[in-house]
Amino acid sequence: MSPLTEIRLVALRELRRGVRSAKGIALGVLTLLGAFVTSLVCVWIEGADRAKNLADSTQAYVALKRQLLEEATGDASFASYISSIPTSLLIFLKITVWLSPLLVALLGFDAVSGELQHRSVRFWTVRVRRWSYLAGKLVGLWALVGLVTLALNLLAGTVALVRGYVTPAELVQWGVRFWLVDLVIVGAWAAVATFISSCFRTPILALLTTFATFFVSWIAGAGGFISRQRHATDPGIALHMAWYEYFYPNAYDTLLLSPETWKVFTAFAILVGFAGITLAAGSFVFQRRDI
Amino acid sequence: MASDLPPPRSIPNDAAAEEPTRKPRGAPEAAVRLRRVTKRFGSTTAVDGVSLTIDMGSVYGLIGPNGAGKTTTFAMMAGYLRPSEGSLEVLGFAPAAVDDLRSRIGVLPQDALLPASDEVGEFLVHLARLQDVPPTKAVATARRALADVQGSDWWRQRCGSLSHGMAKRVALAQAFLGDPDVVLLDEPTAGLDPRVAWEVRQFIKTKRGRSSIVISSHNLQELEEICDAAAILDRGRVVAAGRMAELTASNDEVRVKVGRGTQRGGAPGSVSMQALRDLPTVKAVEFDDEALEIVVRFERKQADAETVIGQVLWTLLQNQVRISGVTKGRGLEQRVMDLT
Repeated sequence: MSPLTEIRLVALRELRRGVRSAKGIALGVLTLLGAFVTSLVCVWIEGADRAKNLADSTQAYVALKRQLLEEATGDASFASYISSIPTSLLIFLKITVWLSPLLVALLGFDAVSGELQHRSVRFWTVRVRRWSYLAGKLVGLWALVGLVTLALNLLAGTVALVRGYVTPAELVQWGVRFWLVDLVIVGAWAAVATFISSCFRTPILALLTTFATFFVSWIAGAGGFISRQRHATDPGIALHMAWYEYFYPNAYDTLLLSPETWKVFTAFAILVGFAGITLAAGSFVFQRRDI
Repeated sequence: MASDLPPPRSIPNDAAAEEPTRKPRGAPEAAVRLRRVTKRFGSTTAVDGVSLTIDMGSVYGLIGPNGAGKTTTFAMMAGYLRPSEGSLEVLGFAPAAVDDLRSRIGVLPQDALLPASDEVGEFLVHLARLQDVPPTKAVATARRALADVQGSDWWRQRCGSLSHGMAKRVALAQAFLGDPDVVLLDEPTAGLDPRVAWEVRQFIKTKRGRSSIVISSHNLQELEEICDAAAILDRGRVVAAGRMAELTASNDEVRVKVGRGTQRGGAPGSVSMQALRDLPTVKAVEFDDEALEIVVRFERKQADAETVIGQVLWTLLQNQVRISGVTKGRGLEQRVMDLT
């Protein structure tokens, strides 16, 4: 049996388990409720912004955004591209990307540690290569969170559509893209969560370590962001911490939304590489550990 | 004429496609082989230089008190633990060679919980699929395995809702799923009520000869009943190993318990002891005063145990010795007590 078949079978079971478990159902319901409220808030923010700028039509609002961005960046094509993005959906994307590590941590902390704790993993390791098992768990978690983010994006898109801030064509164009951005970033977080989960027999330790790791990554990202902002306002300030940002997978969302294809592919390659290296490291450790 | 001959029979393509893609089965010398295997956990040596060879087709017991290292040895055979030193082979492959051993090895881990949210049927089907059973046959294979342990009614039940006995039998079903060549069973009847334990033993007996079975257990009577051969472990080392008859000396000695009230306050008289020594098949006779037991050793080449039992009983009855029990050999329990 090929490793890909093993991964597919393990991932499908993981997905089934996640969708069916009490934890999965509770998190799904809470996330969707939270997303509904958030999408209403996002639409309200866009509405308030339009009212503030006296933009009584979408065309006027886009034109105003383009003008402001062009003045700020001096790049007409970039300003044109960014201003075409529906504001409420962009805000919602930023929120979902920011919250996705939380979702990954909560859904994935016990993916492997739970089966190590109860030794259920022993039913699998005589039938599946250990690295395939780990990769299957990762793909399963990724698919599960991917489905949740798809539902979130659909919800937010529907609210924006009903409010009249996006057309169906814009929703398809940007909705799919935003979801793909979510998906790539979630893949990186899922790899880290699966790796950490495979290192512990006690799920609560895996959860705490996952949170701690994600928090450190967020601090790195925040440090990098602040450094870059300070440099932007005062070029005399050195970019000492700017590169820290690249340890924070969410930081790549801007690149993934860039109009320049090479930037999109670079960000994609970095995140896939990040997930791949994490998976390889996890497999190396998991292959050698006693279970 | 060649053209008049009927065409050779061939397997239809779709049928061939449904055959599980199993590895060609050669003829490995041993089902399991351990060479000077050591396992350390920090400063504790759980298994210390164990060497064993388990023959194909045999039912083999791993025996020993708590902490003897049998579960650790078992876990290394199953690939759960990596040996610190030495080497292990299952059917000629390292236990970690999952692709080579897929569907050829089945394991019943002692303390592994079934996944609580899975239904029994879907769990077994999933494992069957991982064993390379084609999708079209996976359900039938899983149903057969469950029926073998009298669990057909549990197909739709969640694993988390099963009683201990039911869960053990489902775990047993997964171990024998697809009739693997080697099956490792860790404490297969631990915690089961006597009836279920008996049913599990009968089930294992039905698999004798179809798979090489290794059983790690505390239950010595069970092992004596089921196993062809065994290794006795103590403090991580093998203190005795061999065929069950050799371990229990059942082919070399007969033990006769005599009742109280026989001659000389319990002991058989010197006349009857001499009469036993005079039997042509008997090599030596001893009497254990405390246990009130006559131990008769004989030459296995001259007679089998059943013949000797007949001669010994006849002689004792003629000498009016009251008999309360007869055993072949000393029993596995006694042997283990002597060695550990």
